[in-house]
Amino acid sequence: MTTRSVGAPVARSEDPRLLRGEGRYLDDLGHDAFQIAMVRSPHAHARVLDIDVSGALEVEGLIAIHTFEDLPPRLQEPLPLLLPHPSLTAGRTQHLLADGEVNHVGEAVVMVTATDRYAAEDAAERILVEYDPLPAVVGPERARAAEHAVHDDVPDNVAAHLEQSIGDAPAAIGAAPNRLRFRLDIERSASTPMEGRGTYARWDGDDERVRLHTSTQAPTSVRAAVAAFLGLQLAQVECIAPDIGGGFGVKIMHPWPEEILVPWAARELGHDVKFTEDRREHFVSANHERAQVHWIDVGFDDDGRVLGLDVEFIHDHGAYIPYGLIVPIITSTQLIGPYKLENYRVVFDSVYTNTTPVSPYRGAGRPQGCFAMERTIDRIAAHLGKDRTEVRSVNFLQPEEMPYDFGLTFQDGRPLRYDSGDFPASLEKLKQLVDWDGFEERRAAAEAEGRLLGIGLATYVEGTGVGPYEGGHVLIEPGGTVQVSTGLSTQGQGHQTVFAQIVADELGVDLADVRVVTGDTRRFPYAVGTFASRAAVMSGNAIHLAARRVREKALRIASEALEVDAEDLELADGQARVVGSPDTAIDLKVVATLSNPLRYAFDESARIATQFANPGKEGQPPVTDDDEPGLEATDYYSPMSSTFANGMHAVEVSVDPDTSDIEVVRYAVVHDCGPLLNPRIVQGQVLGGVAQGVGGALYERMAYDEHGQLQNASFMDFLMPYATEVPSVDIDHLETPSPLNPLGIKGAGEAGVIPGAAAIAAAIEDATGVVIDAMPISPSQLHEQRLTTAQDRPGDTT
Amino acid sequence: MTGATESYELDVDGRALPVAAAWLGESLLYVLRERLGLPGAKNACEQGECGSCSIFLDDVLVNACCVLAADATDARIRTVEGFGDADHLSDVQAAFLGTGAVQCGFCTPGLILAVHDLLDQVPDPTGLEVREAISGNLCRCTGYGRILQAVEEVKATRSGASGPRGESP
Amino acid sequence: MPISRPTDVTATLDALAASPDADLLAGGTDLVVEVNLDRRRPEHVIALRRVTELAGHDTTDGRLRLGANVTYSEVEHDLAQLVPGLAMAARTVGSPQIRNAGTLGGNLGTASPAGDTLPWLLAMDAEVELASPEGDRSVPLANFLTGPKSTARRPAELITGVRLPRVEGPQHVSKIGPRNAMVISVACFAIVLDTTNRRVRTGMGAVGPTVLRSPDAERAVTQALDWDALTCPEDAIDAFGRACAEATAPITDHRSSAEYRRHAVGVLARRALRRCLST
Repeated sequence: MTTRSVGAPVARSEDPRLLRGEGRYLDDLGHDAFQIAMVRSPHAHARVLDIDVSGALEVEGLIAIHTFEDLPPRLQEPLPLLLPHPSLTAGRTQHLLADGEVNHVGEAVVMVTATDRYAAEDAAERILVEYDPLPAVVGPERARAAEHAVHDDVPDNVAAHLEQSIGDAPAAIGAAPNRLRFRLDIERSASTPMEGRGTYARWDGDDERVRLHTSTQAPTSVRAAVAAFLGLQLAQVECIAPDIGGGFGVKIMHPWPEEILVPWAARELGHDVKFTEDRREHFVSANHERAQVHWIDVGFDDDGRVLGLDVEFIHDHGAYIPYGLIVPIITSTQLIGPYKLENYRVVFDSVYTNTTPVSPYRGAGRPQGCFAMERTIDRIAAHLGKDRTEVRSVNFLQPEEMPYDFGLTFQDGRPLRYDSGDFPASLEKLKQLVDWDGFEERRAAAEAEGRLLGIGLATYVEGTGVGPYEGGHVLIEPGGTVQVSTGLSTQGQGHQTVFAQIVADELGVDLADVRVVTGDTRRFPYAVGTFASRAAVMSGNAIHLAARRVREKALRIASEALEVDAEDLELADGQARVVGSPDTAIDLKVVATLSNPLRYAFDESARIATQFANPGKEGQPPVTDDDEPGLEATDYYSPMSSTFANGMHAVEVSVDPDTSDIEVVRYAVVHDCGPLLNPRIVQGQVLGGVAQGVGGALYERMAYDEHGQLQNASFMDFLMPYATEVPSVDIDHLETPSPLNPLGIKGAGEAGVIPGAAAIAAAIEDATGVVIDAMPISPSQLHEQRLTTAQDRPGDTT
Repeated sequence: MTGATESYELDVDGRALPVAAAWLGESLLYVLRERLGLPGAKNACEQGECGSCSIFLDDVLVNACCVLAADATDARIRTVEGFGDADHLSDVQAAFLGTGAVQCGFCTPGLILAVHDLLDQVPDPTGLEVREAISGNLCRCTGYGRILQAVEEVKATRSGASGPRGESP
Repeated sequence: MPISRPTDVTATLDALAASPDADLLAGGTDLVVEVNLDRRRPEHVIALRRVTELAGHDTTDGRLRLGANVTYSEVEHDLAQLVPGLAMAARTVGSPQIRNAGTLGGNLGTASPAGDTLPWLLAMDAEVELASPEGDRSVPLANFLTGPKSTARRPAELITGVRLPRVEGPQHVSKIGPRNAMVISVACFAIVLDTTNRRVRTGMGAVGPTVLRSPDAERAVTQALDWDALTCPEDAIDAFGRACAEATAPITDHRSSAEYRRHAVGVLARRALRRCLST
């Protein structure tokens, strides 16, 4: 019997070629393509007065220079507003090339095409753009103060104002015996994958088709956008996501201006064209996230039970808002976490600033929401002098209350409805894992060594696997290979392995015989994309359903061939065989051959399916009305609503009392994403997320100055963690299955990053006694805060 | 190309490869990738911060982006393409596979070389030594945990000990 | 010829005389990065790695000479006994890849205020050896470093090495940055307790336009030390930290506030001194 592979830590089939350096990422393709270099704005806000290209024309290897004026009318239209929302009343998106005004450093102004990147950059450098600088709006509060406007026709800088509520929070807070009000800040950060953006297009003039390779999380949608901008039929556009060197959200933004301009240039020039950004371009031109300011007003009883919570926040979405309100909506709904809030009001303004636009970065608004909620719970605990786990416990939604509908609308336009989870059990596991109750002894020991030790924890709930759908196709070839495809693309999550595990189990075949293709519109044209921790849930279930159909068909054909009842058959070891008498069996590849009635015996194995060998049933055509040739099936998974994963992290930090240097010395994770398809891969996702959480708490920030210049646009100063910065992590799992999908799974991709800033802030606060209300925090900042803050424990700020 | 050019020969993975009329300022990373068709070394920062382009120059681990190609003419260059082949992974590569130390794979070639370098020089590094030895290699996916575990496995295998090899879920 | 690959100093100086604007290439970690980022376009490069006189180290007349091509890795692995403070400094530089490539000569030539080897070299009263067609000269490091990324090297001159006195006694170098690995320091401190001449020598990095010393702090702690027992009263250690901090002229930038830099260098000074004392 084939060993069941779902649930096993099988090695990834992707890895051997990646380990040998044979991965083919975007910049490894299109070796002979023309190369693009962009002239980008050095100003955060300016009018473009004049563009003088004359100095560039002499550059050897120059092919073409394009400004906004040189683009055809359709390409002069702004980028689509991808996610319209009724509250998004002043949505503005960028042009492919600046139309007379630039609104952030790094905005594309002129496109230069040349035979190689050096020539393109040489030419770009010689193009003189005359700017009239305008006042730059930087930071959410300056945006809302609206002394200056980013866009002339949006004088208040507010793109959207949205309020949602449950019950009557202001009244509940007014009547509560205790009340706290405070402000919280989270700075800008960004996904920062090792591979930046890139697009490579080949125009085939004979076929009148464009083939686009692009480093994207949404190839089908890029395809549709390219077809729309270039006036092509969908059938003329192929979009393929090759190996992708990480995404973490930034590559769900699409189409980037370059994703339209590159295929257009390829068609115009009749030659392959490629754009690969460099690191500095990525910092200023690829989207960021995270920056929000929150004002919290909370009323609670003497046990710490939250009676009413009122949250106002400003979300800084940068110069344009192509990705709509997804991030702030997630913040405002997922802020609730595992708590049963009966009176909650949240209101946000999403504001324009003259900085790089914002779209989701792993966690997508949740780290900010988690920071707000968990800092609130910690303040309540401090105010009442209670243990922080105790205050969490009294507020938990209980497992028997699931499913629980909060009465709010989630990011997918569907109700915010938790399907599963056991928060008290998770907390108990976490306390054990980190030895919460034994902490004071460790603190005392550290103190004796002259170190300040602190512990903190944070909890979260994450809506994963959002719709609308994904699909899967499964095909058993007559040669025995199982071909699987799904439309969404992969950025290192091990999808090819996990999807193969699902299919191998369903069809009783060896994992090595299953080949999975993701993100190739030639193979599967219907898809939504890889985001919101949805790939395993959505494509995994779709592929599972498709494989189940293939299984049913295989059993039917086998039962006819073996003349036994289908119910007596099983699929195992690459065969359909009779349960209990495995000698009565037929190879699946033979079943695949039989599934396709043939006229021609193109090879020996095909003979059995030819018309004289296998004439079919008397009185019926070779392919019956309810059948089709081939051992294959396509199916789709479309959920009623998201499935909600959850988790809790606990952190111990050690603070150097003299330098305020902060070291994470212990990190524990309890994670519930339902049954684990491949525990090694899930844990890898969690570990990677934790590292980004640590980075986001202690090291990574986008340091804009008041003029909108990004001062740390390099790996030298945007401090991502190395192995020397990431702690060892203890992980434990709780597996409460989701009732919403056949595999019972919940997403796991983003989870690890969500509570990092909140938990680390809590631990630093616990170590130093300084109220931590802004993240990330550097030793320099902590030092200053320790100097200026009164040394009393967090509490009364009423 | 504007500016001075040079023609020279490079010794890459044991092969003598001619480079014709390359601009003087081209880094070894650029020449490997764009002129010699060896894309195993990756370009992620061009300033020696990320280690994605790690290679060996005369058996010394360096970032190819910080080497002027025209100055590497009499050096032995070894890239990830020279490690392992279709049928055979090096022990470090095999341990990465076995522990789940690869996610997107972009930083992986550089890390493979950095770990080979470490274990060839220090067969039994401490945990801190391992972390420091790979602290020139940025990985955005894995959080490094599995990479550290892979190093432990190679250590154990090379020392002949059975070691704590168990399945890593 | 756009690239020269001389193998001795004479040929190097000839090449430099022929094209005074040529870029000198040592480990590449500064120059090639500048070229990659399009901040510099070399028309002529003189590659120094084959120049035999720039390699290795030797001791003559009680003075130590380190060749300009000595890499941080060589210092770290091969010279830890000879120059322990410099080995500590080298260990804080970048990553293994950078330490394998970067050279002392490069660190001197680039002259970053945050150059990791410079505080210790300053504390040691190192002299920079320069060769030129007019002859060789030695310039005390304090005079060689004229400001952020600017030096007293003349266009026709080549940095061939550094010369140091042999100093007996404990020494220590440490640095603070916002991240453990691969970080530009926000403060760096070097201390040498010269037990022969009974003098404390210091160097501070990243807290001024170039590396600095604190003569007042050195003088005071030199007097306060019990040189026979290698002990120091607590209040003198604290005063030493304060005096070092006061001698700085740090800036505020996105890496750190000036106040923190000043504070941090004081902490480093106290700790470094304690590390050098008998316990």
